[in-house]
Amino acid sequence: MITVSFILASFVRPEMIGVNPQSMLWLLPLVAAISIVYKTTKIPAIKFTTFLKEVVILFSSIVIFMIITAGVLYTMAWLLTE
Amino acid sequence: MALQPKYKHVVFLIIVGLLGWAVPGAGHLAINKKTHAFIIFLTIAVTFIVGLYIGSLAVIDSVGSKPWYAAQVMNSPAVVILGHISSKGGYDVYGRPGEIGQIYTSIAGLLNLLCIVNAVYWAHIFRAANEQE
Repeated sequence: MITVSFILASFVRPEMIGVNPQSMLWLLPLVAAISIVYKTTKIPAIKFTTFLKEVVILFSSIVIFMIITAGVLYTMAWLLTE
Repeated sequence: MALQPKYKHVVFLIIVGLLGWAVPGAGHLAINKKTHAFIIFLTIAVTFIVGLYIGSLAVIDSVGSKPWYAAQVMNSPAVVILGHISSKGGYDVYGRPGEIGQIYTSIAGLLNLLCIVNAVYWAHIFRAANEQE
């Protein structure tokens, strides 16, 4: 009973997450979820190795593109403010 | 009077779509895609629960953030019940936990919408392929 109450209590109080660069790492599980679900809808017959490879490729592509975008935006901000 | 095959097919597509909305992955289960159904259910449920855990029930806000709520409802009709509990409970969340929780739960809903569309599409394609054989 105490365990159930503890689990339910976890969903009525928000977690403490600061506004810092580390909080951006929360995007990684979300990108993983997007990659998995998207590839599930694209592959008609799932074989573990092929599926895993496709998911890893998509996950990496999204993360690398986001890093490049962040770099471009950071450079533009730096050029405009310096 | 029995339904014509064309109408039966449309009813089946609607049932697949509604099943996929009721429980993530159930639409794929209805068309006998068990592995797909399991992966979809696990991924969407975990993403939604993580969002709720980070931001609490307050991230489901049917009054103050309607666009996010519309995306969250795509997870399951059960989200409406959670929204009702949230609005009556007086829960609050601000800052980064609120943002992350809202993004996680809404993205989970949009992913389920993708899966619903995919299940209905495959149900239609398989039927068309069976008719051609």
